[in-house]
Amino acid sequence: MTPDCERADRNAAVRCAARDWQRAGAVDAATLQAIEAAVPDDRVRAGPVFRVLLFIFTIIAVDAGFGFLSLFLELADSKNGGVLAGFALVTGVVLAVATEYQIGPMRRAQGGTEAAASFLALGYLMGAATWFVFEPLKLDFRDALPVLCLAGAALAVAAAWRWGYPLYAGAAAAALLVALARLPAGRLLWIALPLAAAPFLLRLAESPRLPPAHRSSFTAVLLVALVGLYVAVHLGSWETQLVEEIGEARRGLPPQNDTLWWLSVVATALVPLVLLGLGIRSRRYPLLIVGAGTAVASLVTLRWYVHLAPLWVVITASGAVLVGLVLGLRRWLDAGPGKERGGFTAEPLFQDLARQRLLEMGAAVASFSPDARDLHEEPKFEGGGGQFGGGGSSAEF
Amino acid sequence: MNPDVAKAIPELAASGALPPETAPRLLRVARGELLSVHGELRALLYAGVLMITGGVGLLVKENLDRIGPVVIAVGIGLAAVAALGWVIAKAPPFSWRAVPSPNLAFDYVLLLGVLLAGADLAYVELKFTPLGAHWPWHLLIMALLTGAAACRFDSRVVFSLSLSTFAAWRGVAVALLGSGLWNGSGEAVRWNAIACGALFAGLGLALARTDRKAHFEPVAVNLGWLLVLGGIGSGIFAPGGTGLAWAGALLLAGAGLAAGAFHARRFPLFAYGVLAAYVGLSRLVLEPLKLGVSGCFWFSITSLLLILGLLAAQRRMEEPL
Repeated sequence: MTPDCERADRNAAVRCAARDWQRAGAVDAATLQAIEAAVPDDRVRAGPVFRVLLFIFTIIAVDAGFGFLSLFLELADSKNGGVLAGFALVTGVVLAVATEYQIGPMRRAQGGTEAAASFLALGYLMGAATWFVFEPLKLDFRDALPVLCLAGAALAVAAAWRWGYPLYAGAAAAALLVALARLPAGRLLWIALPLAAAPFLLRLAESPRLPPAHRSSFTAVLLVALVGLYVAVHLGSWETQLVEEIGEARRGLPPQNDTLWWLSVVATALVPLVLLGLGIRSRRYPLLIVGAGTAVASLVTLRWYVHLAPLWVVITASGAVLVGLVLGLRRWLDAGPGKERGGFTAEPLFQDLARQRLLEMGAAVASFSPDARDLHEEPKFEGGGGQFGGGGSSAEF
Repeated sequence: MNPDVAKAIPELAASGALPPETAPRLLRVARGELLSVHGELRALLYAGVLMITGGVGLLVKENLDRIGPVVIAVGIGLAAVAALGWVIAKAPPFSWRAVPSPNLAFDYVLLLGVLLAGADLAYVELKFTPLGAHWPWHLLIMALLTGAAACRFDSRVVFSLSLSTFAAWRGVAVALLGSGLWNGSGEAVRWNAIACGALFAGLGLALARTDRKAHFEPVAVNLGWLLVLGGIGSGIFAPGGTGLAWAGALLLAGAGLAAGAFHARRFPLFAYGVLAAYVGLSRLVLEPLKLGVSGCFWFSITSLLLILGLLAAQRRMEEPL
C-alpha cells in the first residue's frame, strides 16, 4: 500500500469507529463531526448498496467486453487457444493497472469498481496461467493443481499486500494449504505450519505498525490456518484421508484404532478447547470464532461416533442446553461490576445491531418460511389436511 | 482491538474533539480490554431455537407411530403454550411505536413459540383435518395470528414470517431454500406473487403513514417489491410476445421503483429497481439481437453506461458508508 492509502486506511478506521460510537449513542452528532474533521477522508467511497451495484456491473462490463472482442476477433479459434490465453494475460495486466490507477491517482476505496477490477485481474491472470500449465507444459491435473495453487497464492498475496484486500490474503492461505496437501508430508505441514505461524500471525494482526487492511489480512490468514489445522487433526478427515484427497495424493485408507487414530481423537477434542481457552484468556475474536466453530464440529463428530441417545433427543437437548447456557452466561456477565467480567460484557457496546437484526430476518425468512401450497392440487381434496405449517413450520418439518 | 483507534482517542480527547469523560470506556474497547459478546450470544440463541425446532421435527418424523398423533399434538402444543406464556408474562405494555425487548431471550423465545404453534396447527390439520376441504386456510389463520403476535410483541422477525406465511397461502414460496422459488409456477402463482407484493408494499406504506408500527415498514416494503419484481421477472422467459410483454413490465416497474427510491433515498429499493430495469431492458433488446457478438457488445456498453449513471446517482443520493 502506498503511504497515502495507508494514511487513508488508518483514518477510515477511526471514522468508522466514531460512526459506531454515534450509532450506539456514546457520542453525539457534533462530536462525530468534530472527529471526522480531525481525521479527514480523502478517498472516494460508496455506500454498501452502490458498492455492490458498481461491483456487479463492472464484472459484467469487463467480461462482456472480453467476450465481445474474443468473438469479434475470433480469438478462440486460434490453435490451442494460445491467442485467447494471451489476450486474457493482457486483459489481466490491464485490469491490474486499472486497479492501481483507481486506488492510487483516483483515490478510490470501498468503491466497488476498483475491487471488481482487482478481482477480474486475478481471474484473467489465473486463466492465462491455467492455459500455460495445461497446454505448453502439458501437466496433468494432479501436477497442475499445486502449480496453479502456488501461482494463485502468489498473485493473491501481492494483491492483498498492494491493494489491501483481506479476502485475497485468506484465499492465498487456502491455496497454499491445497498446494502443500500434494506433498508426501502434506498433513503434517497442515498441522506444523499453522502451529508455528499462529503466534506471529496473531501479533501481526494487532501490530500498530501495519495499516488496518494489512492487519485484517493477517487475521484472515490466521483464520484459514487454524481451520486448516483443525481439518488436519480431525478424526473424520484422518479416516477419509481428506487432506490427501484434496492434494490428489491419497494412498489408501489408514487403519483404525492405531496410535495415529487415537491421537486424532484426542486432537479433535482438544483443539477447540485450546482455541476457546486462548480466546477467552486473551479476548481475541479470531480465536473465539474458530474455537466456537470447531467446538460445534467436534460435538457433531462425537454424535457421529457415539450414539448416546436418539438424534432428536440430542438436537433438542443441545438446543435447550445452548439456550440455557447463553441465558446463564448473560446473567453472570450482567451481575459483574459494571456489567462485565474478565473484560467481557454482554452489553452491545458499539455493535451495529440494525445490521444483525436484518441478517436474522433474512435467515428467518429463508429457513423458517413455510412451503407454498400447490395451487394445482386445490380441487382434489382427499382429507389429510395440509402439509404446511403456518409461521414457518411444516407438519413434517 | 484496533491500534489506530486506540492511538487516536487520547489525541481526539486532548484536541477537544472527543469529550474527555467518554474517552476511557472507548479506549478500553479499542485496546481490546473490554469485549462485547452481545452479537455472539444472540447468534447462539438463534442457533438454539433452530436446534429445538429441528429436534421437535425429527421427533415427529421418527416417532409418529410409536407415540401417537394425540400425544405429539398435545406435546408440541404444550411446548408452544409454555414459550408463548413466558413471552406474555415478560412482555412490556403494548405500543404502536418500537418497544425495546425486555431481555436478550425475548425475541427468540417468541420465535420458538410461534414456530412450535405453527407446527402444531399444521400437524393437527394433517392428522385430524378439522378444516376439511378448506385445509389451506390454516396458513391464512397462522399468518394472521403470527402478524398479531408480531404487532403485540413488536418483533420484526415474526412479522416477516407472518408475511411469508401469507404468501405461502397464496401459493408463493418466499423461502429460497425450498424446492424452488415458485411452487407450481404458472400464471396463477405469478399473479398471486404480484398481488401479494403489492399488498405488502401497500401495507408498509400504510404503517408508515399512520405511524403505527412504522418500523415494520421496511420489512413489508422490501419483501413486497421483491415479490412484485420476482413475479413479473418470472414471466420474461415465456416464449414470444408474452415474454416480451413481461420484460416491458419489468422494465417499467424497475425503472419506476428506481426513480421513486432515488427521490426517497431508499438504497436497497433503488438497487432492486436498477437490476430489474436492466434485466427487463436486456431481455427486450436481446430478443432481436440474440446472444453472441452483439449480445456481448450490448452488455459491455450498457454496463459501462450504467456504471457512469450509478456514479452520478451515488453523488446525489449520498448513501452512508
